[in-house]
This record gives sequence, C-alpha cells and structure tokens, in this order.
Amino acid sequence: MDPRLTEVSQLFQRFKAAYVRNDFDTCTTQLSQLKVLLTGFRSLPPLFEATPNAIQELTIARDIYEHAVVLSVKTEDQDAFERDFFQLKPYYTDAGSRLPPSPQEYPILGLNLLRLLVQNRIAEFHTELELLTPTALENPCIQHAVELEQSFMEGAYNRVLSARQTVPHETYVYFMDLLAKTVRDEIAGCSEKAYDYLSINDARQMLLFSSDQELLEYVKEEHSEWEIKNGFVYFQRAKETAPCKEIPSLQLINQTLSYARELERIV
Amino acid sequence: MTQDIEMKEQPAPSNSVSSASPSTLHHLKEIAGLIETGVYVREVRRIVRAVRLTMALRRKLKAPVLSAFLNFALTPGSDPLQRLSSYLPSEGEHDMEVDTATSATQAHAKSPLQELEVYCYLLVLIFLIDQKKYNEAKACSSASIARLKNLNRRTVDVLASRLYFYYSLSYELTGDLAEIRGNLLALHRVATLRHDELGQETLLNLLLRNYLHYNLYDQAEKLRSKAPRFEAHSNQQFCRYLFYLGKIRTIQLEYTDAKESLLQAARKAPVAALGFRVQCNKWAIIVRLLLGEIPERTFVMQKGMEKALRPYFELTNAVRIGDLELFKSVAEKFSSTFNSDGIHSLIVRLRHNVIRTGLRNISISYSRISLADVAKKLRLDSVNPIADAESIVAKAIRDGAIDAIVDHANGWMVSKETGDIYSTNEPQMAFNSRIAFCLNMHNEAVRALRFPPNSHKEKESDDKRRERQQQEQEIAKHIAEEDDDEF
Repeated sequence: MDPRLTEVSQLFQRFKAAYVRNDFDTCTTQLSQLKVLLTGFRSLPPLFEATPNAIQELTIARDIYEHAVVLSVKTEDQDAFERDFFQLKPYYTDAGSRLPPSPQEYPILGLNLLRLLVQNRIAEFHTELELLTPTALENPCIQHAVELEQSFMEGAYNRVLSARQTVPHETYVYFMDLLAKTVRDEIAGCSEKAYDYLSINDARQMLLFSSDQELLEYVKEEHSEWEIKNGFVYFQRAKETAPCKEIPSLQLINQTLSYARELERIV
Repeated sequence: MTQDIEMKEQPAPSNSVSSASPSTLHHLKEIAGLIETGVYVREVRRIVRAVRLTMALRRKLKAPVLSAFLNFALTPGSDPLQRLSSYLPSEGEHDMEVDTATSATQAHAKSPLQELEVYCYLLVLIFLIDQKKYNEAKACSSASIARLKNLNRRTVDVLASRLYFYYSLSYELTGDLAEIRGNLLALHRVATLRHDELGQETLLNLLLRNYLHYNLYDQAEKLRSKAPRFEAHSNQQFCRYLFYLGKIRTIQLEYTDAKESLLQAARKAPVAALGFRVQCNKWAIIVRLLLGEIPERTFVMQKGMEKALRPYFELTNAVRIGDLELFKSVAEKFSSTFNSDGIHSLIVRLRHNVIRTGLRNISISYSRISLADVAKKLRLDSVNPIADAESIVAKAIRDGAIDAIVDHANGWMVSKETGDIYSTNEPQMAFNSRIAFCLNMHNEAVRALRFPPNSHKEKESDDKRRERQQQEQEIAKHIAEEDDDEF
C-alpha cells in the first residue's frame, strides 16, 4: 500500500476517535492536517488522474469531507459547512459513477438544502434541487427539506415548526433551530400586516414564546413601533395608498415631454 | 465576379458520372463556387448564403453525389479526401473510383481552398447525421474540429460555427454531451481570442445547452454572466440564447426577466421552428403562472401547438380556478409529460400559486368568512387546517395578494372594501408603462433595420469603389490563372 495513503488513513482513524469523543478542537486541527495531506493525491479533483490507487484515495477523501461537513454542523460553523460541502460535491457529481454510493450522500445533500433555506438563498436552493434525480427526491432526508420550503412559501409556518419533531437525521436539529428564528421573524412581519391587534396571550403563542416576558423583550428589540396596552398588542399599520389628492405635476410634465420627443422622432 | 461565372459553366461536363442526380451535384458545385468567390473577395456574406443554400439541399444528399462532390472539390489522393470518403457507405465506392478517374482530368483539380475542405467536412457530417450514423458522425466531427484548430481565417468562421453545432449535436444524439464540454470551452476561448464573434455566440449557446442538459444551472449562469456579449450576429443563435437565459432565470426565481426572455425568444424564432417555439411557449406558460398571471386562451391554443400545449392548458385551468384537488389530478395525469419537459420541480412550485388564486377568489366573493371555511374551500389537508389557513392568509395579506384583515379572536377574515382605483395614481402608471412599451418597441424595430455592412465606406466615392472592385477581380483572376498554370 502507498505509504502516503497509510499515513492518511492512520490520521483519519485518530480523527474519527476524537470525533466520537466529541473532542472538536483536536478534530479541527487534525482535519486541517488531513486536508493538506489530501492535496498530495493526484487522483482527486480537480485533476482526476487515473492513478492505481484512485478508487481507494477517492473513497477515503470523500469520507473525510463527509466527516468535515458534519463536524462543521456540530461546531455550528456555517461558513465551514459551505466550504466543505463544495469540496465534497465533486465526489458525488463527477466521481459518483466510479465509487460505490455513500450512505451519507442524501443526508448531507438534505442538510445543504436546509442550510440554503435557513440563509434564505432560495434561488440557490432551487438550483441545487434541479440537480437531484427522481430517486434522490424520494429520499426522506431530501423530501424533508423540500416540504419545508413549500410550507415556508405558502406561509404554513406551524407546519415548518412541527417538522422539527420529525427530523430524519440528528444533525438537522441545528438548522431547524435556526429556521425557527427565521420563522418567528416571518410571522411577526405577517401579523403586523394582517391584524389590527392581538391579545398578548395570542401573540405569545403565535410567536412561539414561552413567557410574556420574552415576548415583551422581543417587541422592544425588534419591533419598537408596536404598542402594548390593556393586555393587547397594537400594530402600527402602514398607511394605505390614500386617494390621490394632488396631481404629481412634475412627473407628468416629464412624461408628457418624453412622449413628445419620441413622437417627434417617429413622424 | 468572373470566377463566379466560370464556376457555373464548369460543372456541366463533370457531372457525367453522377447521372443519378445531376441537379444536386450541380447545385453543390455552384455552392462551392460561391464559397470560393466569397473567400477571394473576402465577403463573409456569400459564405453565409452558401450555407443557407446547402440546408435547402439537405434532403437530397446521397452517398454517390457526396463522393462525387468530394472528388471534385478535394485534391485526388489527398489526406482529407481519403479520410472523408471513408465515412461514406461503401456502396458509393464504385462511383467514386470512376469519378476520380474523370475528375482527375478536369482542369479544375488544384490545391483546394481550406474553406472548401471545411465545407466538405460539413457536408459529410450533415449527411451522416441525417442517415442516423451517429458514431461515424462523432468521429467525423471530432476530426473536423481537430482540423479547424489549425485554421485561423475569418472566412472559415461561418462554416466553423456550423461545424461546432453539428459536433455538439452528434454527441448529444449518442448521449455523450459531457465528454465534449472541455473541448467546447477550449474552442470558445480560441474563438474569443480570434474575435470570431459568430463562433463565440454559437459556442456559448452550445455550452449553455450542454450544462442545461445536465441541469447544471449554476455553472451555466456563471458562464453566461461572464462570457463577453455583443450584438447578435445570427438571429437563430440569439433566439437560443434567450431561451436558455429564460430557463436559467426561471430556475433562479427571477420570473419577470425569465418571462421577457422566453416570450422574446418565441417571438423572434422563425415560423418554421415550430418545436422550438412550442418549447418556449411551454416554459413561458409556466413562468406566467408562477408570476400569478393567467395566460390568455389564445396563447395556449396557438395554431399547430394545441396538442403539445394541451397539458399546459389544463394546468392553467386548474390554477385559474384555484382548485388544489384539480391541480393535483392534472399534475399527476400529465406527470410523464412534465417530467420529460424537465419542469416537474416548477409544477411543485405552482402549488403555492394555486392556493393564492383560490384565496383571492374567496376574498373577492365574501366580505367576511371564517377561517375554518377558508380551509375547507382551499381543501387544505393537514393536521391543523385552521391554524394553517390563518398563517396562509396572513402571508397573503403581507405579500399584497389580498386586501383583508384577520380577526384572531373571532377566527374570521374580513375583506376590505375595494377602493376606487381611479382615485389613485394607478391608472396613470399603467398607461405610462404601456406607452413606454410601444415606444420602446418602435425604437428597437428601427434599430433592427439591416444595412449593408460597408455602406458608410462606400459613400466616399463611386470611383474609388469601382477601382477597388477592379483590383479585387484582378487578384481573383490572377489566382485562378496561377492555379491553371500549376496544372
């Protein structure tokens, strides 16, 4: 066996041991070492050279990056997640035909979808979605994220929240918690427009706070324009489009002049 | 000009062999003449015409005719002739031998123009694709691309861009598009360095097609946004570009821009390109639905497309009524069509619009309705339909889809009186945007008028032009004479 490959796999074993112990600091340092070692293999992306050990090297590299992605979720580092995921992706798309499928593939793809949803990058979410095969779409991990997005778009927020109980993978919880915050802001934004007022009790339930105190603090920080009196929350509604009293003369003059200029060009 | 006439006279004796279809061979030779003149006087326009004439002959191409033409155009025994002849079916071999013998005695045999060689590649390639010999076509196109890499002449550009197209087509037909992506990128780079704008345009489209074939929208968009853009040279390529752009925009949820590109692509496409227009219209319908618009009946029932657009017509109907059940059944009924059109995920997105439309209908018809009834009317099937309905209504209000207020304590939705729209600035704004559209259309039409490319130069003086033309003709004659001498 290639000595470099042995070195990598030994280090990877130590990394996994630390990973199981939840010793994240050791993990992170060892991961950087591993990544440096991986750059020595010519069979990995972007070169994809057909070396004799290519399959083994690709498999171990994929395994390392899969662990890296999950580790970034555990350390709650979204930027690291994005970086590691992009490094991992070629192993699924470009090397996928040569390697046996990884059991981690769909959970990780689903995680990425969830991350895009949390970060409100809906366009990228859909771009990623297009890449998935029909079989992938039927996988519970992927389906979970897809259904979340739908409920989110529709506005069925309680469905989003109840989905937290049915997460298909334990790593999903971190993003689901983040999503709950996003959902709260969304609900607050909608309530503001849809209701004249709400009782404090209802508002607390709707915004998913466990105590009135938390609600009051939230209102103070995020929506200072809301008014609280007599046990009700009054939303200051934005002014409706009032009937036009004044003629916007300057704008009209400009428009009419431009019509005249254009007409002159035609005639 | 003299060259042109010469060429027309020449084919007469040489077509003795291919008696089967003298007219096709005759036409081919005329086209070859056209290309030669085009090269001598450096007028790309003539070569464009040659390519267009070839397309008209496409159906009449037969192996014997082709081999006769190859022998006519290429030097006997030369490398390209042997290579190209090997792609043709062997039944033509008999004719070929005879032909070589006769045409060798022709006065025409001379070291052929590189353009003619490239043109021969193009002809053989088209023939192979039409005969469904895709593997040979792949080999032939790869050989032609390798040959093209060593050529750097502006007069080849037109022919090269057609070759690129068939190169990609032959690989697509065998399902190996991913293989040539690197090659296409390299060709695009070379075309950019050589300022071959037509080639860039064609290759960019081929690359976009290549990416979209594998749903790689991200890469496609990155390439598109970074590739140099310029005034379109070919209407067809521009239409394709608009279509791909529309697709990318749709996936990235930029529906307004997507709609514009798709409709423009459908409008600009030639009438004959029915399949292309159908595709554009399919996407356009979906995008309009996603935007919350309902396409007019005439749009869906366009002439010659009724059958292809039928699933989309029913889908539109379901969205228009706002009935979730009907929408689901239509989506299931035509799921194979939608899957093969690659818009399955867009249909999934539409669900949200169906709910919106339904909600809008309810809000118009009732001044006050309980949330339980809303949930029932929308047929929301979930654990807690009333809470769902409430948050859906709340979101619709915030997004401005309906104008209403929710009363949480009583659990009902109160629609607001629709105010008099004519008391606001709204009509004035709508009127303005329509006028702006018309004026813009007029300006674009004026800009799109075609003028001969060198019209400004020729204004200088008639004498000068005559002089120049004379010179060019002399050079052309000179070259022709030289060639004759050589023989």
